[in-house]
Amino acid sequence: MKRLAWRRLLAGATLVAFVLPLLAACTTVAVPAAPEAAPTGPIQGGTWTEASSADGTILNPILASDSASFDMMPYFPGLLGTNPKTGAVEATEMAESWTVSEDSLVWTFNLRPGVTWSDGEAVDAHDFKFTYDAIASELVETPRKANVAGIESIEVIDDLTVQVTFTDLKCDGLLDLGLGWLPSHLYAEDFSDIMDSPLNTAPTATAEAFGFKEWQRDNFIAMESNDGFWKGAPNMDGQIIRVIPSAGSRLAALENGEIDVMGLEPTQLTRVGLNPDLNIFKFKDDGYSYIGLNQANPANPLPGQDEDGNLVEQDPHPILSDKMVRKAMAHSLDYEAIINKVYLGQGYKLASNVLPAVGWAHDASIEPYAYDLEAAATLLDEAGWTDSDGDGVRECNGCATAEAGVTLSLNLKTNAGNSTREELGVLVQDQLNSIGFDIEFEAIEFGTLVGELLGQTYEMVIIGWTGLGTDPNDDSFWHSRFDTPGSGFNFVSYQNPRIDELLELGLETPGCAPEDRAPYYYEIQQIIHDEIPYLFVTGSIGNVGYSNRWEGIDPGTWSFSWNIHEWALTE
Amino acid sequence: MTRYIIRRLLQAIPTLLGISLLSFTLIKLAPGDYVLMTTFDPSITAEVREELRRQLGLDQPVPVQYVEWLTGISLRGGDMVDAMAPMSKSCRYFDSLDFTFCDRGGGLLRWDLGYSLATKEPVWDMLRSRMPASFELGVVVLVLTFLFGVPLGFLSALFRGSAKDQGIRLLSVTGQAVPIFWMSLICIFVFSVLLGWLPVGGRMTISLDMKFSLVDRIRHLILPAFVLSLGGVAFLTKLVRTQVLEVIEQDYLRTARAKGLGSLALWSRHVLRNAMLPLATVLGPAILSVINGALVTETIFAWPGMGRLTWFSALQRDYPMIMGAVMFFSALTILGFLISDILYAAIDPRIRLQ
Repeated sequence: MKRLAWRRLLAGATLVAFVLPLLAACTTVAVPAAPEAAPTGPIQGGTWTEASSADGTILNPILASDSASFDMMPYFPGLLGTNPKTGAVEATEMAESWTVSEDSLVWTFNLRPGVTWSDGEAVDAHDFKFTYDAIASELVETPRKANVAGIESIEVIDDLTVQVTFTDLKCDGLLDLGLGWLPSHLYAEDFSDIMDSPLNTAPTATAEAFGFKEWQRDNFIAMESNDGFWKGAPNMDGQIIRVIPSAGSRLAALENGEIDVMGLEPTQLTRVGLNPDLNIFKFKDDGYSYIGLNQANPANPLPGQDEDGNLVEQDPHPILSDKMVRKAMAHSLDYEAIINKVYLGQGYKLASNVLPAVGWAHDASIEPYAYDLEAAATLLDEAGWTDSDGDGVRECNGCATAEAGVTLSLNLKTNAGNSTREELGVLVQDQLNSIGFDIEFEAIEFGTLVGELLGQTYEMVIIGWTGLGTDPNDDSFWHSRFDTPGSGFNFVSYQNPRIDELLELGLETPGCAPEDRAPYYYEIQQIIHDEIPYLFVTGSIGNVGYSNRWEGIDPGTWSFSWNIHEWALTE
Repeated sequence: MTRYIIRRLLQAIPTLLGISLLSFTLIKLAPGDYVLMTTFDPSITAEVREELRRQLGLDQPVPVQYVEWLTGISLRGGDMVDAMAPMSKSCRYFDSLDFTFCDRGGGLLRWDLGYSLATKEPVWDMLRSRMPASFELGVVVLVLTFLFGVPLGFLSALFRGSAKDQGIRLLSVTGQAVPIFWMSLICIFVFSVLLGWLPVGGRMTISLDMKFSLVDRIRHLILPAFVLSLGGVAFLTKLVRTQVLEVIEQDYLRTARAKGLGSLALWSRHVLRNAMLPLATVLGPAILSVINGALVTETIFAWPGMGRLTWFSALQRDYPMIMGAVMFFSALTILGFLISDILYAAIDPRIRLQ
């Protein structure tokens, strides 16, 4: 069950973490030529089998909050598609086209005609409106309420036209519209049966490539192909997702041919690579690992803004609020060794917060901090942190942020059970201590860590983001508005009025054109790089191992199975 | 006897209530709550989290939450009828006392374990759906344990000091010392990956058109049952060996032998029966282990049993689910010990239950 903690940790990221699989699951491709004419069409039949480390919790797209659940319910149509290779928003799902008002607040979507649920009812604008109204309903308990917070109204113009009015311009607002649609004709109009509907465990209608067949909790979920799928009937009979909690057992099942695909851990790459029956798809994942440096005093966490939105002066951390110290830390980590030894090569150096996967906003010209112990030592000397008593640990001798004599002692935490992070912690401790830090490292239970993190009572933390998605906006990590002890994700208490301003400008750019937004994100990256609220350890590389008994698999960074209806057995 | 059983069952009620109070408090003391664990996601705002907590009643003090779980009744200060009505069956505001009384339905006292926060399903349904898998594995393990543990212990005692005895004792020490996860992985690697004889895990071969097949079920049972029964067999072997050795030292056995009693009668009537006594003590809790699952084995062999359900809900801080599992296993434990006591009396005529 160690796996869970790992998943959960990574699971923290934007909404896109959950939406993307949905959007990406079904990007369009030309419908294959009618098979009956060709004597040698793709082989029909077979079952694609996946393994999941955890069982889903609930098969309702507006109630679920875990990725395992979303993997198990590819039944619900979505408004917008995502290009599996580039991540760009495309009109490949229910929205065929759309128009935007001049102020970018009113979006009118023209929906695809002729798409039906598997029970024959039309998929239309009412389903979309029903789904979003349900989220807002008092009768529905869901963490997805943030999705509707920025929406002023949803109007059904006609069955195939729907108009969404946003309260404020938000360039990533479209992502809020990414949830799967519920079949409104199967629910009570007043949303009263959503929480305890039997459809939450056995959805009867599908408008995607697969329909629900059977779910045995903690065991497997079986799905049948939907022959009425509007992009074309799948070649396979269906797919199965098996719940196999242990990574070692998943690998054994993949080698044994019991499953067709699994996400690989770095230690498993060699064995899969040597197996002639298996392929590996390697991609730059939309996440990174970092060490968060709390700039505020953990004994006195304060919100970043008062009720009127004015900045609140923070009680600075006696050591970490000193930029020179943070810079010295950045120079004293051997990133190359860390990536090679701890991540077994499955990572890449990162200079700042926008990932190369978001090409238009990523500033490739910023160089990651070099491993340079001399520079680090000089920085610490200059900052007034010197080892005057010769015990190997520096003390404050004229430093700017702490009282004289305070030692350079810090606590570093991560979640227990994640062996990669535990190894990283030991290495970081070793490397920092070698230039006069005194790092205490501990791995604690995930729930406890989350409590300390959001409570802002920690000093340094090893953690990561995943599912950052296709938009560069990450204001919840840096904006002073999200520095709210107990709940906000700016838990490093980073405070910079210019960053606040840039994040707002990037999100509220009139027209939202990438070329207009990019300069703001370039400047953000430069500032975050210079100010070092995070030590960026490595960008994530994902590896998927899959069986070569299927053809037509064309995985993209943003979706592995976007064209699953075209896959066929090779023999 | 019947009166004894009824009295023991009645005594179980305050015990269970005590357990529920204690475990509820302990669970609530653990850092992080359900909302935090499921919304560790920057796109979810603090307001949404607060709203969720309010809807789920997690914003209330722990004693209030406990009463709510126990009785299904919510009490709030002030006029909260509007806010509480969507989550309740009936709500009433008492003007003079300035508090709102809402009946949410359910509650342990009404024989209802409530709904899981994560799946929105009844807790009892979730427990029940894992029982067949746990039961299947548990019964097989129990049978294997006794089938091998008792005879091996006897043999070991019978041939005390011989090479056979040494061999069995070595095996039993090894069986107890080898970590289950390691043994499981080795078995999977050898029998599933290298030899391809047995499936890696799961309870059955899963396909779109599944039919029940006994052979298939047995094939899936072999590895987890073998690994899980190792420890039990080892333990029982040692226990039986010690007991038998103790019994054959007794005077009455020498007397019986001197009377010219045949070897078979001697062993079956005198040694076996007397050595069985402590087994009865073990059997009660062992029956409990049949159902309560085995986390490590279930995890490695992807066995969909109760151990994983409980563990997972603890990680998720799914309070009603954790409490449901705790109550269920507590009741089983009490039942297990009752069975032990009854068995004890049945085997040993000197013991009378009163």
